[in-house]
Amino acid sequence: MSAMKHCLLVSISLFTLLLDGQSQSVSAADSPIVFNRDIRPILNDRCLACHGPDEKQRQADLRLDVRKLAVEAAIVPGQSAKSDLIARITSQDADIQMPPADSKQKPLSKDEIDLLRRWIDEGAKYQTHWAFIAPERPVAPAIQNKNWGRNPIDSFVLANLEKEGLTPSGEADRPTLIRRASLDLTGLPPSPQAVKEFVNDTSANAWEKAIERLLKSERYGEHLARYWLDAARYADTNGYQYDLEREQWVWRDWLIHAFNSNMPFDQFTIEQLAGDLLPNATDQQRLATAFHRNHPITIEGGVIDEEYRTEYVIDRVVTTSTVWMGMTMVCGRCHDHKYDPISQKEFYQFFAFFNQVPERGNNGFAPKINVASPLTTRRQQRINNQIAEAEQRLKKHPALSEKKLIEWERRLTNVVTNQWSVVVPATRVSQGGATLEVQADKSILATGKNPATETYELILQPNTSAVHAIRLEALKHPSFVGGGTGRGSNGNFVLSEIEFAAATKSTPDKFEPVKVASAEADYSQANYNIKLAIDGKIDRTGWAVDGNTKFEDRVAVFTFAKPLLADDVAQLRIRLHHRYGGSHHIGRFRLAIAAQPVQEVPPDVAGIVQTAAANRTTAQRERLTEVLLERFGPKEVQAATANLRSLRNQRAALTRTPATMVMTDRAAPRTTHVLYRGEYDKPREEVTSGVPAVFPSLPDGIPANRLALARWLVSANHPLTARVTVNRYWQQLFCTGMVKTTEDFGSQGEYPVHPELLDWLAVEFVKSGWDVKGLLKKMMLSATYRQSSRVTKESYERDPDNRLLARGPGYRLDAEVIRDSALKVSGLLVDRLGGPSVFPYHPPGLWQEINNRPGYSRTYKQDANENIYRRSLYTFWKRTVPPPSMATFDAPQREYCVVRRSRTNTPLQAFVMLHDPQFVEAARQLGKRMMTEGGKTVDDRIAYGFQLCTARRPNAAERTVLKQMFDKRLRQYQADKKSAARLLSVGDSPTDETLDAAEFAAWATIGRVLLNLSEFVTKG
Amino acid sequence: MTDPILESHLQVNRRHFFGRSASGIGAMALASIMNPQLFAADKKLAENNGPGYAPGAVGPTHFAPKAKRVIYLFQSGAPSQIDTFDHKPTLEKLDGKNLPDSIRGGQRLTGMTSGQKAFPAAKSFMPFRQHGNSGQWISDLLPWHAKIADEMCIVRSMYTEAINHDPAMTFFQTGHQQPGRPSLGAWASYGLGSESDSLPAFVVLLNKNTDQQAQPLYARLWGSAFLPSNHQGVKLRSSGDPVLYLNDPTGAKLPDRRKLLDGISKLNALRQAEVGDPEIATRIAAYEMAYRMQMSVPELTEISDEPKSTFDLYGPDAKVPGSHAANCLLARRLIERGVRFVQLYHRGWDHHSNLPGRHPLIAKEVDQGSAALVLDLKRRGLLKDTLVVWGGEFGRTVYKQGSGTRFGRDHHPRCFSMWMAGGGIKGGMTYGETDDWGYNIVDRENTGVHVHDLNATILHLLGINHQRLSYRFQGLDFRLTGVEDHGPVRALLA
Repeated sequence: MSAMKHCLLVSISLFTLLLDGQSQSVSAADSPIVFNRDIRPILNDRCLACHGPDEKQRQADLRLDVRKLAVEAAIVPGQSAKSDLIARITSQDADIQMPPADSKQKPLSKDEIDLLRRWIDEGAKYQTHWAFIAPERPVAPAIQNKNWGRNPIDSFVLANLEKEGLTPSGEADRPTLIRRASLDLTGLPPSPQAVKEFVNDTSANAWEKAIERLLKSERYGEHLARYWLDAARYADTNGYQYDLEREQWVWRDWLIHAFNSNMPFDQFTIEQLAGDLLPNATDQQRLATAFHRNHPITIEGGVIDEEYRTEYVIDRVVTTSTVWMGMTMVCGRCHDHKYDPISQKEFYQFFAFFNQVPERGNNGFAPKINVASPLTTRRQQRINNQIAEAEQRLKKHPALSEKKLIEWERRLTNVVTNQWSVVVPATRVSQGGATLEVQADKSILATGKNPATETYELILQPNTSAVHAIRLEALKHPSFVGGGTGRGSNGNFVLSEIEFAAATKSTPDKFEPVKVASAEADYSQANYNIKLAIDGKIDRTGWAVDGNTKFEDRVAVFTFAKPLLADDVAQLRIRLHHRYGGSHHIGRFRLAIAAQPVQEVPPDVAGIVQTAAANRTTAQRERLTEVLLERFGPKEVQAATANLRSLRNQRAALTRTPATMVMTDRAAPRTTHVLYRGEYDKPREEVTSGVPAVFPSLPDGIPANRLALARWLVSANHPLTARVTVNRYWQQLFCTGMVKTTEDFGSQGEYPVHPELLDWLAVEFVKSGWDVKGLLKKMMLSATYRQSSRVTKESYERDPDNRLLARGPGYRLDAEVIRDSALKVSGLLVDRLGGPSVFPYHPPGLWQEINNRPGYSRTYKQDANENIYRRSLYTFWKRTVPPPSMATFDAPQREYCVVRRSRTNTPLQAFVMLHDPQFVEAARQLGKRMMTEGGKTVDDRIAYGFQLCTARRPNAAERTVLKQMFDKRLRQYQADKKSAARLLSVGDSPTDETLDAAEFAAWATIGRVLLNLSEFVTKG
Repeated sequence: MTDPILESHLQVNRRHFFGRSASGIGAMALASIMNPQLFAADKKLAENNGPGYAPGAVGPTHFAPKAKRVIYLFQSGAPSQIDTFDHKPTLEKLDGKNLPDSIRGGQRLTGMTSGQKAFPAAKSFMPFRQHGNSGQWISDLLPWHAKIADEMCIVRSMYTEAINHDPAMTFFQTGHQQPGRPSLGAWASYGLGSESDSLPAFVVLLNKNTDQQAQPLYARLWGSAFLPSNHQGVKLRSSGDPVLYLNDPTGAKLPDRRKLLDGISKLNALRQAEVGDPEIATRIAAYEMAYRMQMSVPELTEISDEPKSTFDLYGPDAKVPGSHAANCLLARRLIERGVRFVQLYHRGWDHHSNLPGRHPLIAKEVDQGSAALVLDLKRRGLLKDTLVVWGGEFGRTVYKQGSGTRFGRDHHPRCFSMWMAGGGIKGGMTYGETDDWGYNIVDRENTGVHVHDLNATILHLLGINHQRLSYRFQGLDFRLTGVEDHGPVRALLA
């Protein structure tokens, strides 16, 4: 029965009601049959599973999806009475009847049978599936009402309405219009000022000017990016079971920038799918390809690499085919597609495009690159200039000379080099049976056996006068996971305990423990501080370094309570215990001895000093000079240096962008196979990259790689990309696409409600140079868009879902828009563009409650600053526990590509609006605005708040309700100061102590009412 | 409520929230009552479902249900069947012997033991005994289960396809190893609708972690994926607000909350009269139901009204919020109040090392509450139409991970045990058999119970034909139980 409710409407008529599980087509009783509209859905639904493209399932060698074959066997064109097909579907004999009773298919309804009869009688004409034929620009249809309509969009819409005997609605009033446009283009309601400007603008092109103003706002890019994040399954965590953090936000900045600069959609496509393969690819073009690394990545200990690597590639196929082509290619993973002409082999040919990334299944975070956010370039430029100036000034300082620098460096080198002498242990034993080999750089590399737990025992014979401290370096090696420092299955290590013991010359075999006074490391993982490695307990706790995500060399220094004197000590024994399990051992390390008390030299500078001058990077050279000047230079040089360093730190903060996962292709191509039943371990026939034969082919003479694929998608003759894209933007403005199944333009998808309009817009879009802002503007300039959304009984009865658009778009706003609107009207919104994700209010303990591996998962740490009030697209997104108030308003989990959200209406949403501290706080600040900005009288203030939230002024009845509420609440709070104080205390933003608390609380209550109006959460 | 217009809207809408989407059928249903002739289709649906019954997609059911509700006690991390329900006297002799390749039969292993040189079998570390009139074999690890032996149907021939937690959990709960499909509870909510006008149809309970390596969970396990998102499970929390944002942070008292709602509703009703948007009426009613939930949830979670006999039965843990026993008790209270599907998770069973030391601790947490729930349902006459399901996402290997007495057991997909009791299940029976090594199912073709078979059985007991509960998405009619040939296991049915 569910299939009944959700099966696609068989007919184009939107007023067909589905009764009792029968899909009845009452359409077109008097108009000729259109195969794609009337017949294909029936064949798809009831016949093709056994008589369609899937060779393996085909029964009786009969194919009904190809006319030639159908006519040979079951259809006599022009003569339904002689057609076996009709005989079979009308038969009462269980042995003959189609579909067979045991096929789980519903029998055909009378109307469906009639349609098939008429179709055969009219000649049984087939059509290629509409969406596989490239669109041609249709001529705008003839319409009767010449007085309505502003651009060709309206002619198409009106022609449909006239056919159905409907009339369009009048134009919405101006406040409604500007609010609608503002929400659609920026995701935020208009300010009262913006409303006023538009309402008072009497010029003929006032509307166009308003749209253009909104399109120029930086908020536009944020809003458009937000939709794309769903499609790109963007998140701030890795997903799957151990849902730890990742940092891909630099790509999100790229996305915002791309929308704001109105990057043409073809370029937008090519850069995201294959920016790395473009000739002379820029860093920003490489960054764009992070799009296809946004999928979840597992780090679960026991997984099989290839199994998950395969899933990642499949995810890219699914995402690409959904977003650009509206095709459900994933059906081809296990078998030939049952409805669309995509064979399993073709699926894997498509798969091959994305199968070339040098990645792993487990911990597959490489490859990554460090690229700055495009949003920071301007500020960067300014700081660069300041730095250059400061450097020039310093360089010219009379007290400085090359000679002096060399002298100072020698002094510093002395400190550093004499501080540590690297030692190679005389004996090295692995209790776990690993081989510990000495490398050329005197480091020790563990190879061979790699048991769950491990202890290395090392004996040193110090040849220095004394031992004040021991330095342990954990060093990277390509043989470890991620090329990091640990032998663990995820690349990390946990040093449970480091033990020192010394044997004197008199009793060289008797080791006495050596007491460690302090331990310091350049980096410790949360909950795995270096101190845990000297806590005297050989257990699962210890020093770890996030070695599964941060692949860097690490260093730790252990200072002894009392120096060991060479005269006494013959041997120093060091034990490195690893008890965490899962082979979390340090894989390569180097030891060094400090013969003198350790002097303060920053570890990184020590490293630079020890690097040959010729091998130092520019940054290292700068850093060294800086330290030398500050340590040894005259006073004013020290000050100038400090200033320069502060500037450099600012620049570093700007450019300290995390490495972003991006796409690259392997040098040696990976072979792709058809996978039997889609299983990674059942490779069959070998295939090379290619596109399904039903579509235009790739051009000859170029490599069939991702770049070719991306260019192919946006080539002029591609039948799908422009249509699918235009439809998605239509959905953004009108709630439902012209093809409701945004994700499926295949033969199981919905036949478009306005097929000519869709094609017209698609062709225009390509012709415009894939101009997204232009496309939105065109849609919004139409009279269709500008209609009032008022619902009359008649229009609702005729078209409850407003598919024909006899009225304007009105529907509940998305989660992010609702929260951002509350921030905006309360004046709390901090509209800083771009940057890392933020941590606004969040129910305490929620992360730990759900996605908690004790000692492993982190807790949600709410921001304590303006980040609480940033726009929702910056909210940190944890896939296993998505932001709860957004999830309640239908935001997806971002575990996979979503191009159409559901839109529900539940009591839990009421809870969010009423009780989420974000909204209670916003109500308070809205109350304050009413009091301080709204005028003197209660009426004025109410009107002001109402207008902030709805863009219109309240009518008399509304004003009365609000006024009565205000009066009652005021009296109540005057009598109950405690309740007032409690209401005013919700949220981190300071309350205004100068305002009368009772009155303030009463206004805050009015704020709560306004934010809970249906109208506030609705685009009207 | 005093406003007659609102009252009439609410009458209409009271039951439509957790089961319906706003702009779709819900709004249509509302309009249909305003003008019944025009929406005959929807009216018919409502009629089929009987009075006061929130319609689901299956109206009312495909056939008479044996169970009206389900309590699913998920044992995440995976308990060892060898040490609980799969009694294997044959292992007495095979103990310590290396698992022959012929038995392993090419089974893929997880990354945790695939490098292991030897696979020595380890018999149960606990003795087994027969219990009840039915003489079911249950190990001493679960002494309270002995008391429900005659209610339980133990299935020893469960098998799955995944070998690691995330995909295996996701497979069990959504019928697919990768994210993207609706959960079992969401399907039930979608198919059957809601029975309560103040609680959601599908509620999730998470036990607090005690084991060091407890399983992290993920919202997709109770998610709705492509089904309308009002079918996703609503988590009932053991600390903080029991339902997210249930409580007013301003501490407003009930009459004040009522007044606030009345004001909002009045204004919304005025607007609806103006613009005619039926969705506004739906929203008014949603706020009304939220109000009722604010009253019903505290009453639900306030267990002090339980008699002493309850705590005698469930044990002292039942008073510790978030414990397994407390959640079992809550589960009973939920279904008493019309919740259809309660999904509970314990997550401490994943013992790759020192299983003989750690399994008893977890068993102690789980044993009494699980058994008490069944006994409690029975004495209240609820067991006959409530289905209780108990089990993990896969089994554990007969061979040791590691060695010595502090050995662990790795993940094992080929055979494991679960039990069910109540609504429509044949109690006091054991179904399925494993080979001498406890590694493979004997005659899997005929007696193996695949995850899809189990889910089809659960749906069947709810009166749903699993092949007919489907949702069209991306051109396909998706089902919980996939496209392969699976179905309810008739032998388990009473």
